Amino acid sequence: MTAITGVGAYAPRFRITSEAFEDAWGQFHAAGISEKAVPSADEDALTMGYEAATRALEAAEADPDDIDWLAFATSRPPAAEDDLTARLGAMLALSESATRHAFTGSTRAGTRALWAGLDALEADATTALVVAADAPQGDPDDGIDHAAGAGSAAFVLERDGPAEIVDRAEYSAPYPGTRFRNTGEDETQGLGITQYDRQAFTETIGGAVAGLEDEPDPDAVAIQAPDGKLPYRAAGAAGVGTEEVRAAATVHDLGDLGAASVPVSLASALADGYESVLAVSHGSGAGADAVVVSVASKTDRSDSDVPAVTALEGDGPLTYAEYLRQRGIVTTGPPSGGGAYVSVPSWRRSIPQRYRLEAGRCSACDALSFPPDGACDDCGALADYEPVELAGEGTIEAVTTISQGGAPPEFAEQQARSGDYAAAIVALETDSGDETVSVPAMGTDADPAAFGVGDRIETTIRRIYTQEGVTRYGFKIRPAGE
Amino acid sequence: MRDAYLVGAGQSDYGAFPAESYRSLFRTAFDAATDSVPKGLEAGDVDEAFVGTLGVGGRQLGLSGPAVTEHVGLDGVPTTRVENACAASGFAVRQAVQAVKSGMADVVLAGGFEIMSDMSSDATKYWLGVSGETEWERLSGTTFSGVYAQMASVHMEQYGTTREHLSRVAVKNHENGAKNPHAQLGFECSLEDAQSAPVVADPLNLYHCCPTSDGAACALIVSEDVVDEYTDDPIRVAGVGAGSDTVGLFQRDTYTGIPASQRAGEQAYEMAGVDPDDLDFAEVHDCFAIAELLAYEDLGFCETGEAGQLIESGATEIGGELPVNTSGGLKSKGHPIGATGAGQVVEAYKQLSGNAGERQVEAPTRGLTHNVGGSGGAAVVHVFEREERRSSRNSSAHRAREKEQEVSA
Repeated sequence: MTAITGVGAYAPRFRITSEAFEDAWGQFHAAGISEKAVPSADEDALTMGYEAATRALEAAEADPDDIDWLAFATSRPPAAEDDLTARLGAMLALSESATRHAFTGSTRAGTRALWAGLDALEADATTALVVAADAPQGDPDDGIDHAAGAGSAAFVLERDGPAEIVDRAEYSAPYPGTRFRNTGEDETQGLGITQYDRQAFTETIGGAVAGLEDEPDPDAVAIQAPDGKLPYRAAGAAGVGTEEVRAAATVHDLGDLGAASVPVSLASALADGYESVLAVSHGSGAGADAVVVSVASKTDRSDSDVPAVTALEGDGPLTYAEYLRQRGIVTTGPPSGGGAYVSVPSWRRSIPQRYRLEAGRCSACDALSFPPDGACDDCGALADYEPVELAGEGTIEAVTTISQGGAPPEFAEQQARSGDYAAAIVALETDSGDETVSVPAMGTDADPAAFGVGDRIETTIRRIYTQEGVTRYGFKIRPAGE
Repeated sequence: MRDAYLVGAGQSDYGAFPAESYRSLFRTAFDAATDSVPKGLEAGDVDEAFVGTLGVGGRQLGLSGPAVTEHVGLDGVPTTRVENACAASGFAVRQAVQAVKSGMADVVLAGGFEIMSDMSSDATKYWLGVSGETEWERLSGTTFSGVYAQMASVHMEQYGTTREHLSRVAVKNHENGAKNPHAQLGFECSLEDAQSAPVVADPLNLYHCCPTSDGAACALIVSEDVVDEYTDDPIRVAGVGAGSDTVGLFQRDTYTGIPASQRAGEQAYEMAGVDPDDLDFAEVHDCFAIAELLAYEDLGFCETGEAGQLIESGATEIGGELPVNTSGGLKSKGHPIGATGAGQVVEAYKQLSGNAGERQVEAPTRGLTHNVGGSGGAAVVHVFEREERRSSRNSSAHRAREKEQEVSA
């Protein structure tokens, strides 16, 4: 048997309401969505995947070294060609020899990743990490974009645990044209043939559920939600009630989460304590996966609750104009330039620091240096460094808010999109909290005014900048505690 | 070791000059410098040259020294380009002093230049802050305004320094710059203007930041063996000090001072055998208003943490106890990166030779120049001292020169 032993979920803090769209457009094309999450300019599927994955690992109390199988699913990979699982694995400090798979090409990718994880555990994997993250994007004036939200979920799978996967089935039938993005295109589109689209949706979902060994009787149904109406229309085909669909629905508050739609709903249902959950995805093409999760009843197990760490609340309301800026729709991209070049190979050398805050302990004087390179900051010795991973928490020592015009041009596009930002020097702590080492870091996830000298912070990983077409990821800071 | 003397110095106007090139600006500065030598100095007299430039825009990045010295006719003279960010030509002056003191040269040109205004504003931005720590500091989203703002945030937190103190630096330096015909921003500003300008990197607003500038400056350093051939009013390079530090602020032990400046200042005072109290004026590196306040403390003009009170007291205004940045400083006179250090020496020369026009400090005998690279990765300090007038022993060798006038071209 296979089971979920840890759940993580994340949604960006920025939110926009359907009213803001109505103010801008006179109407809102995404039925049943009252508010949705919007990724910040420094977020993408990879960083959101990291946010959910760290939470799932924390919930499962899993050591990254124990993960021997990783899957990352998204319909919007930040690079169309370039396996991002290598970077995701490095951000999470997984073993270099862990098996990695990327799933994309459809909103069904999230459950495909889960499916493959189940297969892997039935073969020789022992601890799998399934990560789904997405932020769909369409043309600004159509329903796909109006519905497009952002979020991520991650699951740690093991052979035994509180939430067992008891049944699964899949179904496919050809339905071209319902939702697609051709090579080289940025915006997902659909032909918008209403009855045809619905038929594709309900036939595949119904087919997958019908393929299950036992007819499910779920308390909650995590069902693909391209908007806030379709999941309910498909309830009949899935043989479930609308109340159960509502129980796991995240679309009303987060929008269409694409390949993360069903994973985030499943994570949310498990976090909310539902004991029998049916998860049914749909991806254009078309196909569907149905997975039944059963949480052992509390009388059977001492710790039946599924460990979950979720961060799905928002606190940053956006106007429609801010939404266009944040998503880069009305900005012109970074200026071309000259100086202060950091080559990709030099960047790669610093990945242990960028992703995992690896400082160094001087073998001559025991003081910490960051980055651990060259002469010791403390004693000046050109000695070797013993790697020390910092804890990702600390205190602001010096800080400024960079206004428009004050940013290096590498950050001009980000600043045009997300506005002024904090730039600080922070004293990051070791695990024990006994020692600190100073590092410069950009603020994220909060207004720049939320960063003051003496304030507590924590680190996360975000997009730093893109140069020569290659996006560089690294740590940033945000106020401690979410 | 032989003594070194400053016998001439001159600069181009600082500003934005679409019709000029780095070579033509350097030539203007070179001509002004040689013209300022009381008994005259010919290109053929120069034994060696040191030229400071960062290379903003990436124009002649290699061999940028010979590119200007050959242009002004220093035919075949060994030239070395000195790069230490904004302290490039301060260090070029130091190299000139070393060459003279070592006995390897008798007449040395120390100059600097930069062109910063002939690119699109986007392209310019790529070059600002290139002397910050690139891999970590810059990629946390800062250029120098951000790094100096971080220093200001801590100085304000620790010592109660205020935004008004920062603005007072701008008001003072603009008042001085308004009296300097070479100044780029030669206008006065009110405290209200300097308080209400748009924020660049909190707490620093536009008036707390120096402009980007085109310009060139040259200084002529000669040995004690030949000084009499050039002047009867010798100005001795009494003290030289310099220091380096980590390029990134985050790797230093303090954010409220610049250790390289402290080291440079102490060395220069010791070599000159003087204290800060013995100075009659100082040109300090005020790339940002907080930098001038830090310099007050690092160079011992006041106690640590008291720079705010010092600027507020008026002691550093012309007519005060220790006038600072009589030229207008980087803030008002301008900051063509590679020219700045030599440009400070131009002001010291003018003040000590009594040619500083409306901004003349009364009968000064000793002045200091302080030039910082980046946020403090390099710093250099010079103390110049006017000696007693000598009787002319060698006046026939060079043409006599009329007393220099402050010129506006």
